[in-house]
Amino acid sequence: MTTLDISAPGPVSAAGDAVLAFEGLDVTFKTEFGDVHAVKGIDLEVRPGEVVALVGESGSGKSVTSMTALGLLPRNARVRGTIRVGDKVVGGLDGRGLRNMRGNDIAMVFQEPMTALNPVLTIGDQLTEGLQLHGLAYGQKATERATELLDMVGIPEPERRLKQYPHELSGGQRQRVVIAMAIACDPKVIIADEPTTALDVTVQADILDLLRSLKDKLDTGILLITHNMGVVADMADRVAVMLKGDLVETGTADQVLNHPRHEYTKRLLAAVPHLGSGPGQFGDVAPVRAAAGDLPALELSSLVIEYHRLGKPTFRAVDDVSVSVAQGEIVGLVGESGSGKSTIAKCALGLIPAASGSVSILGRDLTRLRGKELKTLRKRIGVVFQDPASSLNPRLPIGDVIAEPLVVHKEGDDKSRRARVLELLDAVELPRSAYNRYPHELSGGQRQRVSIARALTLDPELLVADEPTSALDVSVQANVLKMFTALQERYKFACLFVSHDLAVIDLLAHRVVVLQNGRIVEQGAREDVLHSPREEYTQRLLAAAPVPEPLEQRRRREARHALLAQLGDEVAELRVDERPERPAPRQNEGGNASGLGGFTGGAG
Amino acid sequence: MNDIRNSNPGGEDYEPQVSVAGTDAVGLAAGGSAAPLPGEDKSYSQGQLVARRFFRHRGALTAMIVLGIVIVVAFTSIGVGPIPGWWPKDYTLQYDKIGDGAPTWAYPFGQDTGGKDYFALVMRGTQFSIIIAFAVGIISTVVGTVIGALAGFYRGWLEAVLMRMTDVFIVIPLLAVAAVLGRMAGESGIWGLAFVLGLVTWTSLARLVRGEVLSLRERDFVLAAQAVGTSAWRIITRHVLPNAIGVVIVSATLSISTAILLETSLSFLGFGVQAPDTSLGTLINEYQSAFSTRPWLFWWPGLMILTIALCVNFIGDGLRDAFDPRQNRTKD
Amino acid sequence: MLKFILRRIGASALVLLGASLLMFFLTINSGDPLKDLRESNDPNREQLMAERSERLRLDDSPWERYWDWLSGVGGCFTGNCDLGVTINGIDVLGLTQQAASSTLRLITLSTLLAIVVGVALGILTAIRQYSGFDYTVTFGAFLFFSLPVFWAATLLKEFAAIQYNNWIAVGQYAPWTIVLVAALAGFLLQAVLGGSTRRRLATAAGVFAFVAVMLFVFNALDWWRNPMFGIGGVLLVSAAAGVLVTALTAGLRNRRVLYAALTTAVVGVIAYWFTAPLLVDEPTWLLLIGLFVVAVVVSVAIGAAWGGYARKQAMLVTGITGVITSFVVVADILIAHWSDFLGLKSRPISTIGSQTPNFDGEFWERVLDMGTQILLPTILPTLVSVATHSRYTRSSMLETLNQDYVRTARSKGLSEREVIVKHAFRNALIPITTIVAFDFAALIGGAIITEEVFGWTGMGALFQDGLNAVDPAPVMAFFLVTGIAAVLMNLLADIAYAALDPRIRR
Repeated sequence: MTTLDISAPGPVSAAGDAVLAFEGLDVTFKTEFGDVHAVKGIDLEVRPGEVVALVGESGSGKSVTSMTALGLLPRNARVRGTIRVGDKVVGGLDGRGLRNMRGNDIAMVFQEPMTALNPVLTIGDQLTEGLQLHGLAYGQKATERATELLDMVGIPEPERRLKQYPHELSGGQRQRVVIAMAIACDPKVIIADEPTTALDVTVQADILDLLRSLKDKLDTGILLITHNMGVVADMADRVAVMLKGDLVETGTADQVLNHPRHEYTKRLLAAVPHLGSGPGQFGDVAPVRAAAGDLPALELSSLVIEYHRLGKPTFRAVDDVSVSVAQGEIVGLVGESGSGKSTIAKCALGLIPAASGSVSILGRDLTRLRGKELKTLRKRIGVVFQDPASSLNPRLPIGDVIAEPLVVHKEGDDKSRRARVLELLDAVELPRSAYNRYPHELSGGQRQRVSIARALTLDPELLVADEPTSALDVSVQANVLKMFTALQERYKFACLFVSHDLAVIDLLAHRVVVLQNGRIVEQGAREDVLHSPREEYTQRLLAAAPVPEPLEQRRRREARHALLAQLGDEVAELRVDERPERPAPRQNEGGNASGLGGFTGGAG
Repeated sequence: MNDIRNSNPGGEDYEPQVSVAGTDAVGLAAGGSAAPLPGEDKSYSQGQLVARRFFRHRGALTAMIVLGIVIVVAFTSIGVGPIPGWWPKDYTLQYDKIGDGAPTWAYPFGQDTGGKDYFALVMRGTQFSIIIAFAVGIISTVVGTVIGALAGFYRGWLEAVLMRMTDVFIVIPLLAVAAVLGRMAGESGIWGLAFVLGLVTWTSLARLVRGEVLSLRERDFVLAAQAVGTSAWRIITRHVLPNAIGVVIVSATLSISTAILLETSLSFLGFGVQAPDTSLGTLINEYQSAFSTRPWLFWWPGLMILTIALCVNFIGDGLRDAFDPRQNRTKD
Repeated sequence: MLKFILRRIGASALVLLGASLLMFFLTINSGDPLKDLRESNDPNREQLMAERSERLRLDDSPWERYWDWLSGVGGCFTGNCDLGVTINGIDVLGLTQQAASSTLRLITLSTLLAIVVGVALGILTAIRQYSGFDYTVTFGAFLFFSLPVFWAATLLKEFAAIQYNNWIAVGQYAPWTIVLVAALAGFLLQAVLGGSTRRRLATAAGVFAFVAVMLFVFNALDWWRNPMFGIGGVLLVSAAAGVLVTALTAGLRNRRVLYAALTTAVVGVIAYWFTAPLLVDEPTWLLLIGLFVVAVVVSVAIGAAWGGYARKQAMLVTGITGVITSFVVVADILIAHWSDFLGLKSRPISTIGSQTPNFDGEFWERVLDMGTQILLPTILPTLVSVATHSRYTRSSMLETLNQDYVRTARSKGLSEREVIVKHAFRNALIPITTIVAFDFAALIGGAIITEEVFGWTGMGALFQDGLNAVDPAPVMAFFLVTGIAAVLMNLLADIAYAALDPRIRR
């Protein structure tokens, strides 16, 4: 696959027992736009039973680094330096040697469990093929071993699951299958590339528990690639920080997270919102100043939203939800995937109809209005969506994008519109030269700023923000949040802020609404709901959210395990007691009856 | 751009976006103040980028030049309607035959059995075939785009009608419907023929446009436009169709090549262009029995059809690559 | 699944009904059926016109005529089909039966060939993306997309048929032809197989030498006029096919599957030895089909017996090997009859009709006659479809190879063959099933044209003559046959889709 230059080997590794070692790794990609230097000579080691977290933002080269260990880079890559997996030097292996190494010595857990499994092959097929390939077990034996593997990663009814296809499993279960595939041939090291990024926070906590018990019990080394500092604090023994292809800082988790030395690490950590610290992390949030008699900016009462599906029963996405947002108030709408939070946001915008109940904007029912009146009401609502890649029309220059609402409502002339756009560009801290640029010329963060500017064009009383920062890198998110609080202070709009990230909600919401499966679990003032939750689900949610400080996170983790025990649930872990031939596991407390119950997964 | 969406093999990390993604870090370095914009001072719209990519596609560029030459020669040589062309001979007149009528300098394509200049005849056929092909292309593109866009945007009965129409064309071969319609319209000249052919060839394009619109209407910028109260007409014309333009242009190109093959096939079978009009298909039909004695009468019109259709297909391929840079050609 | 199929059949029947209405009304309004009589100077003109009006029921309303036709077709369900009469009073049902058999033969053969060749080419070009081979196939595909079929068919008729007939009279290759053919074969194969420059050179040289020597030997033996293959050849080819199929699906490292495939080839040849007397002289189609079924069952059984832990794979491999072996056996018999056939028909490829009239050969000679007649009309529609299929397969395959699960498969240590055959190919096939169904109607259109050029009295002629005379009965018969064929094809595609994609199975 990859051409590895082994003529210039790096210094001989001092720690002979490393299961994965990069020495002077340097990767360049040839593209039609010239060479891209993705990794610029880094040294890194993973020892058995150790978790090394490789941290960085998009484009830092962390995924490229991991792929070199498997020899799986595209052909336009040029790799220099030495990569050792156990006692093998990756660059010195031929095709057969490489294939023999993959799976056997080093395995991979990918980010997206939805796409990492082949949709047309059964779970059993995909699990056994690695076993047969590496000659570990054949036929009936392989099936038995696969059953055992599924059982180990905590999937109930493994025999039945083997015959199922990936689409029949939830997201968390699929990621467990991917992990089972990774440990199938008992590799010395596992590379986990953002293994929990696509998962809900409770599922993430379970998968992290599983990975932790895996390295403890099987003594596997783990190279954990992530951008999430909470995950780092939860898992890592050592941390390496990458910036644009360079390793800028390495050290133990405590050193790097609590006493960072490099400027970039400090900035990165400062940009992470910290659950429990409340508002003020990125600018103060103005208190609500709505008078008692004022109409609420948004009032949802007994809202029901249903999806009609052909040949299947009607799906009730939102069930009897009542929420009120006062003028100038930020209400955080929190929930996992499938909780209906985005559906509610879309309904509040009048984009999908309500089956029953009402949606009132400043006292007027959106669901009953038609034509001109509806259009007038819509002037008073702004919207920001999640995905910066799709929220701007690629055919329009930024100036037109921001001016579009003015044109639609026939407000002002060309001159006044231009003035308004320039004013907004200043407000969202974009240079005025952006006026004539096209969306594809802007970065994700810049595009999200444009989205916010467009939402504010008509000076709305209500802003609906659907996960506005969750697709952004953490440092970009910090800037956008900072700007957002400043804008709210200035324009005093009310806001329905939808997010899955409790820490983000914690730093800017006045009130919080927690949703699960389309129903409200708990709602109230931010400090009540997020700091002393009453409902079990909220407690689980909060307990599962990691914070970027190792000691605190360890306390939180133990508290979560205690909570789970109290609620009668199991802690996810690898179950290895049925396999006495395993190399002496460090702890042996397996033997649980079933996995954790809380897998709502990616349904809906 | 962001790790959450990043799931290409090898990661998007190595793609040229790296430079763009990097700017956020730069923005961070500047402490959150106005972040500088990436790239050169000159800004390119999507259209300009597409044009740049298209002109780098060598096959498409060559095809475009060849097709341009064919069209110019076909229309200027014998003239159009009352406007005379530069070619001295007339396609209606019978000249004295030189030998057996094989191509000579005076008659580059040879002469037919009656002594007519075959170059002039073929040029006339080419004119008609090109007119029909482009007219069909335009009609089917307009009809297909309108129906596809409406069906994709509004769903409902329009979509049902479109899908049933498509089903009908899976059951009846296009050639058969076109033959029946062509026979009906044959009397009314080439414009009538072009019209009816346009009416039966729009379905595939409509399906493509519908598919594109279906995905576009779920995109956030369309939702944002709806939320702000933009009218459906403005959303379709300003936000949806401009973004579906790639599909439309590529399909329109390919529908021209379908049209020229369909028209010539029909004319060959006798259900297309009727005398006194002529097309490349009727020429082949007329002279196919002369193959063993006067092969040039057979070769030229066929080669003209092949050339035109091939050029159009290559242009379509170039456009597809230009509009859809996903399959970038990186030579290794 | 059954419910799904029934629903599809119901929907298709409605579409057929609607389309038949459209077709009927368009046809009867496409011209004046009495035109030729109106212009004639026949003294009994009026009487002829009245007769024809009576026969076509021109005085009835169009709806009544349509209903009449429809109820006639409805009679097919109760065993008394009535497709009406032509403008000259001939019963259309009889005409249709003759025409349909030859046309459906042509279309089925084209479709099967196009799928196999098109998909194979698509995969090869996707694997060798941006290679010389890829560019060549791409250019070829564009060329065939752009080819006016009627024109190319005439060329084929003039060159391929007549030139071959002239050549076979002698049956010897000129030395420079041999060198050219061998060089071409060598060049093509190295492009397909790829590898380092050195390996490519070796491949090319090997193929060149092999082909050149073979062709000279054939010349010396006068093989082209008196070809023979023999049981050794059958064994060799079948065994090679078994090895190839194993290599592609299970990998040669899987000895059980390999031995199972080889066993199948050997058993097949032994069976051929014993059944030869039955086969060679005057078999019936029924006997051939029966033997074929037996062969496939036995092959699969061999796979099941040998397979062990890889039973499923082994059964697939032996099944395919069994089918290939059967075809090789048939090919051997046909080749053996070639010289007799030449004796009966000295210019083997005639360019008119689906079979030679008054041909009085034995069974296998008749098969050869039909084979040589179907060859040329099939080639062009097939090539056009191959172009479509190969392009779609290529892009679908490239798309699939970019998916995450392919990366997962590679990270497990699977070889490129396993990644492509097991993980990418099946997923890539899913969208292609739809294309095949769509393309089928286009293929029928192509068949109308080639039938016209090659003078077949098939469905195309029925349609054309009917339309020319504004005579609805034959036109509707054409529609009925092709429409039902298309609906069946679609149904097959739907079932294949469901079989390939577990996500839509219910």
